[in-house]
Amino acid sequence: MTTTTTTPGPVTRVRNAARANWLFIALGAVAVVSLVRIVTDTNDLTSVGTIRAAIIATCPILMAGLGGLWAERAGVVNIGLEGQMVLGTWGAAFFTYHSGSPWVGILGAALLGMIGGLLHAIATVTFGVDHIVSGVAINLIGVGATTYLAEATFTDLEGGGPRQLIGLPTPTTIDRIPGISGSAADLADKHWFFISDVASFVAALTTKISLLSLVIFALVVASGWILWKTSFGLRLRSCGENPQAAETLGVNVYLYKYVAVLISGAMAGIGGGFLALVASSGFSTNQTNGRGYIGLAAMIFGNWRPGGLLAGALTFGYTDSLRLRDTHAVHSLLLLVAVALIAITVLRVVRRQIAGAVAMAVPGAALLVWFLSTDSVPRDFTSMTPYVTTLFVLALGTQRLRMPAADGRPYRKGSAG
Amino acid sequence: MTQESVAVELRGIGKRFPGVIANHDVDLTIRAGTVHALIGENGAGKSTLMKILYGVQKPDDGTISINGREVALRTPTDAIANGVGMVFQHFMLADNLTVLENMVLGAEKLHGIGDRARAEIRRISDAFGFGLQPDVLVEKLGVADRQRLEIAKVLYRGARIIILDEPTAVLVPQEVDALFANLRELRNAGNAVLFISHKLDEVLDIADDITVMRRGTTVGTADPRTTTKRELAELMVGSELPSPETEESTVTDTVQLTLADVTLADEFGRNLLTDVSLSIRRGEILGIAGVEGNGQAELVETIMGMRIPGAGRIHLGTEDVTHWHTRKLREAGIGYIPEDRHRHGLLLDAPLWENRILGHQTQAPNAKGPWINRSGARKDTQRIVTEYDVRAPGIDTPARALSGGNQQKLIVGREMSGDPVLLIASHPTRGVDVGAQAAIWDHIKRARRAGLAVLLISADLDELIGLSDTIQVILRGRLVGTFDPASVTPQDLGAAMTGGEAA
Repeated sequence: MTTTTTTPGPVTRVRNAARANWLFIALGAVAVVSLVRIVTDTNDLTSVGTIRAAIIATCPILMAGLGGLWAERAGVVNIGLEGQMVLGTWGAAFFTYHSGSPWVGILGAALLGMIGGLLHAIATVTFGVDHIVSGVAINLIGVGATTYLAEATFTDLEGGGPRQLIGLPTPTTIDRIPGISGSAADLADKHWFFISDVASFVAALTTKISLLSLVIFALVVASGWILWKTSFGLRLRSCGENPQAAETLGVNVYLYKYVAVLISGAMAGIGGGFLALVASSGFSTNQTNGRGYIGLAAMIFGNWRPGGLLAGALTFGYTDSLRLRDTHAVHSLLLLVAVALIAITVLRVVRRQIAGAVAMAVPGAALLVWFLSTDSVPRDFTSMTPYVTTLFVLALGTQRLRMPAADGRPYRKGSAG
Repeated sequence: MTQESVAVELRGIGKRFPGVIANHDVDLTIRAGTVHALIGENGAGKSTLMKILYGVQKPDDGTISINGREVALRTPTDAIANGVGMVFQHFMLADNLTVLENMVLGAEKLHGIGDRARAEIRRISDAFGFGLQPDVLVEKLGVADRQRLEIAKVLYRGARIIILDEPTAVLVPQEVDALFANLRELRNAGNAVLFISHKLDEVLDIADDITVMRRGTTVGTADPRTTTKRELAELMVGSELPSPETEESTVTDTVQLTLADVTLADEFGRNLLTDVSLSIRRGEILGIAGVEGNGQAELVETIMGMRIPGAGRIHLGTEDVTHWHTRKLREAGIGYIPEDRHRHGLLLDAPLWENRILGHQTQAPNAKGPWINRSGARKDTQRIVTEYDVRAPGIDTPARALSGGNQQKLIVGREMSGDPVLLIASHPTRGVDVGAQAAIWDHIKRARRAGLAVLLISADLDELIGLSDTIQVILRGRLVGTFDPASVTPQDLGAAMTGGEAA
């Protein structure tokens, strides 16, 4: 036979290399942050408080992103995440108040998110409505419905009003883990290069952290495992890659799409619940403030994978938390981003991607000049700087994104062959 | 023929779609342990019938019996449960999943999704010499490997009745030989293979029984040992197949298109085209042979100005057009029949006369100054419809409503309008029926006599050999050989296309 056979290398080695790559990038990122912290003398950049705030800011984005991951892996674009999150905020408040348990509230948030997901699934899967159109409609419905429901159900409650409900019980907080929390915090206070930054992270993860945050991180791992290591996940992903092929192999594509979008809504709802119960002192209308979209963006930058999505959400969460700390930190952020961009420039020069290198070098140099020539970022900019810089890093730093092949495409049964 | 040896029996199958009768009164009997060929022209209803047998479509009338038992196949799951497996013409694989994932999808219960499945894949692969690697992404596989994966998928599910829908359409001759070796082994292992094709040589080579379809129904059966190609062809179309034979040479000395050392790289710096040099003279048809994906599409896009080469020059006549953009090139007289008429050639939901304007929106008779000349375009569309025998209810019909052959005739008519100096024809007769094919060949030959330079890219080696004055072979973005169509055989070309020695 003179057939052309491709001879691939051992795949496991490639996978291990990819894993090592992630670890390398994460360590590199910590080192860069640490360096900038020491150069600018902004210890707040990686203080335990900052990291703790970053984790709280990350969680809702992470849940929205996870919701996006579930839906898009099954081939449904869910920009209705924002609306499903908003529904989740109300659900969390309502069920927590009436049951007295925040965990019941979280289940309520998931339920409300799921209702949003169900609407989206009916529209896109059963009726073949354009996914974007349906998603926008769900966002509008979500905001409208929660505003109405809040006014109808919270106005006369204790701690409630037409637009809010405060004084709700919160999920358990882990105050400290003996042996780890204390020593990590001590180490963080030494402000050593690298070690203290890692210690800060450990301290933030073990001290005064909401159990719900840990549950959310566990959900990321669980989602990755279910989607990539079980036959259920394989079938679900096949619906996003090639639903016609899945159909010819006996996969009930409609069913899997429905399940995926329902889970997607539930995830977004839990993210909304986190906002109402953990991230703030209670429910208020329009609490999500665009986090659904940011979660979607984090998922896209994360290349439709749980690890990448986690990295994207952490970046958003981190810069968002810096904004709330002090303006000096935001100013240091300029240097941080400049250094990151220049690092990517170098990487691209090494790989001989000259056009890409120039595209990174120009904004990198501009930010560096901005940093060196000023002492602070104007107050008007501080609120948006984190978003702009994160977008810069993620948009320019990410290459070769690979979305599920049939993502957002209409699918009709019997169209195979 | 005893009753036990019948694997599949179809009786009186009928299937109607809105406005179309896809199948009616279809009778088909397939014996176990044989390769059964089902032949017929495009649109004869073969694919619909196969979808019915695989449970993708439900028949409106008729019965299906498998191993002597009448069955109702409502979904592919039912078909798989009855031991029917199908290899689609357009592969049903998810590129972004691995071989293993594609294989176990839908059949996870058989051997799990881990090491047991991996071992089973290796076993099947070794038994039939498929050479499959379980953990490779499907996007990395070549066409022949994908097809072997598809066959292995069917076997993995324990199918005993294997349907292959035009499996050779995407293969070069050597790969076809390898496929046939696989099919013979499957047959010897006691499976029934249903082989759908319209290539008569191949059918006579591999089949034990032949059934012929025409206009949605089975019109007869034939014995491959006693029947001839001519008889099969007559059964299929009612007349002898046309062949694309050229008359005497009309090549002139005037060079119309020259490419000198054209190199094109993708965004990651990999070369898609490397040092491509060619020239086409007026009245000459230059054929490009190659396995799909070896740079043909990029070559066409470079000439058409859709991509700008990193190095090398392109001349149209005496003019350097290397950096010209597509509209300027078209205005300079390049006609273009794109390889995928649905994606590039037509607006499917626009009426014919609007499609007539596409690509010629700045030229008479379609434009008057900055405005579209509606009546001019409509009148000219009417002319194309008449001259090129485009069978359509009218010029206000949406292009989608036309059959593939008629859509293609409209494109050919459009691209021949306004006296082009160069025609780039990418797979001009792909997916069109025999009648339209002959008409399109006639138009290309007539234009050649009138002095048109033609770049012909085709996967149909008979078409290339029959039409071209010169054939060049493209392999991994390089032109690797020049052949004289008068003396070359498809086997020679196939060997050059895969970079191997002549078989």
